[in-house]
Amino acid sequence: MKALLIDDERLARNELRRLLAAFPQVKIAGEASNTKQAREQLAALKPDLLFLDVQMPGETGLEFLESLEPPAPHVIFTTAYDEFAVKAFELNALDYLLKPVDPARLASAVERLPGLAGPAEPKEPAGRLRTGDRVFVREGERCWFVEVGQIRLLESEGNYTRVHFGDAQPQLFRSLNAMEERLDPRFFFRANRRQIMNIAWIAGVEPWFSGGLLVQLKGGAKIELSRRQAQEFRERMSL
Amino acid sequence: MELSADISLPAGDETRRDKAKERLYVLFQSGGWGTLMAIEAWAIIEFPEHEAVWGKTTTLAVTFMSFATGILITHFIRPIMARWGWKQLGWRPLLPRLFAAAVVAAAVWNALEILWVHGILGLPWRYEYSLPMILVMEECSCGAIMFVWLCLYFFYNLFDRLNRSELERFRLMTSVKEAELRALKSQVNPHFIFNSLNSLRALIEEDPARARKAVTQLANLLRYSLQSGQLETVPFEEELGVVNDYLALEQVRHEDRLRLRLDIAPEALQLRIPPMLLQTLVENAVKYGISPRPDGGEIAIIARSSGGALTIQVSNPGQIEKAGKESSTGVGLHNAAERLRLIFGEKATLELHSDRQLAQVVAEAIIPLPSH
Repeated sequence: MKALLIDDERLARNELRRLLAAFPQVKIAGEASNTKQAREQLAALKPDLLFLDVQMPGETGLEFLESLEPPAPHVIFTTAYDEFAVKAFELNALDYLLKPVDPARLASAVERLPGLAGPAEPKEPAGRLRTGDRVFVREGERCWFVEVGQIRLLESEGNYTRVHFGDAQPQLFRSLNAMEERLDPRFFFRANRRQIMNIAWIAGVEPWFSGGLLVQLKGGAKIELSRRQAQEFRERMSL
Repeated sequence: MELSADISLPAGDETRRDKAKERLYVLFQSGGWGTLMAIEAWAIIEFPEHEAVWGKTTTLAVTFMSFATGILITHFIRPIMARWGWKQLGWRPLLPRLFAAAVVAAAVWNALEILWVHGILGLPWRYEYSLPMILVMEECSCGAIMFVWLCLYFFYNLFDRLNRSELERFRLMTSVKEAELRALKSQVNPHFIFNSLNSLRALIEEDPARARKAVTQLANLLRYSLQSGQLETVPFEEELGVVNDYLALEQVRHEDRLRLRLDIAPEALQLRIPPMLLQTLVENAVKYGISPRPDGGEIAIIARSSGGALTIQVSNPGQIEKAGKESSTGVGLHNAAERLRLIFGEKATLELHSDRQLAQVVAEAIIPLPSH
């Protein structure tokens, strides 16, 4: 597993490097001292795992992660003392390390990483997102790595997209059209100009005015399909 | 700043106070009426010809009884006036009320006396004047006694109230000042402490000598930060030493991103400043001038003693953010400014201004020197 260390302090990166020497399964592919460098390294090295400092000059680790094209990489956050970040991480079960890093804590974080034994899957940044892929979203102090398959509904809000999953609906810094290109059409259906729904989350369908359909999703949302979209939907579902 | 230690009045003291007040009341009551009674008795014994109608003994007994009635009336008028809220009134609204009360109390007093002496005991009329005339005269003398009694009573009450409110205000003031100072006390940023410890871990391997030095510097800083709460002011030199330790630690973290320039006038070193003042300014400068810039920058500390004041300037690259109030700069600097004002008064100031040409933010503290 290839890892990228992102931290503005050289000493902090060195310390992490020394600690990670005990884990041969994690190979350090590179280092970055700010998010600009990190973007370049990310494109060049295609790492599987990021060790990401939360406080950095220019842009915080969370802002950086939010700006990345999905799917989100595996991330282990590092932070010295940030009550807000730690609360957000704990609330959403994100993995994080407190600096100075406790080696035992690092060991358990590395053990929890998925797919260490499996073969490296080829990554195509421009390809379609799989249902198991994760997207990083954030709203205020809360942040999530949400699996694409868990998203019920995406709604356009100008240049942003509101993502509905679980009991949350944060905004994603991407347009609905941009998201549509990345979503798997076998699961995600463009219901209308404003909404894309996940077919796997449909609870019921009723006929609606003038040949349209009203789709009810698990979790309560109701989506109207015009006659033309209903037609397409029927064709898709009957296949 | 342990000002409030002996001023606070616990609940037990309050009841003790009330008991003492009650004792004082009994003393005044018996003393006042006793004196009046003694003068009357002396007159009766000394000039018996005035009291020839009833005889000395009867006159003494009636007089004694009359004063006893007076005591009872004044005693029971107290709770009535308290219920009417007279104890909370000022002199001006109180005086006419006291006058009216004296008139009524004297009338009751006289009525009781006449009823008792002539109605029940059936003693003969002893005056050469008619009943209405006597009533007016008695009303005047008894009214005067009652009025004096009421005035004395409320004079004490008013004095006591004034005393208490003064005490209350003083207590409030000191506790507010203390609470303010406690709240404003700044501490070393925990984020910095843990980041420093992390750097130290790495340094132990890379540069053990510098690591050892850094441990001492961190210890100095933490000790100073913990102890600073106990002092109102410290010599500028002492704080500067600790700030140097702090900056050395920040340089371990930020390496060549943090550059320093110190320009300290020697005469400024012995002047006194609130502890953590310079530290707060420098910490802010690092937080907003160095940390957010990938290339870092220079922090300058300038101290001058001139014009009867100590001027401390801390500058860092950048500009004042418009967001202002919400960011924690606002809070840290605002607290430092408040602390300065509480200790040195209104002439002490702490301001933040930006120099657009140099693209710098300058925090400037001006502390007036003691005038003696």
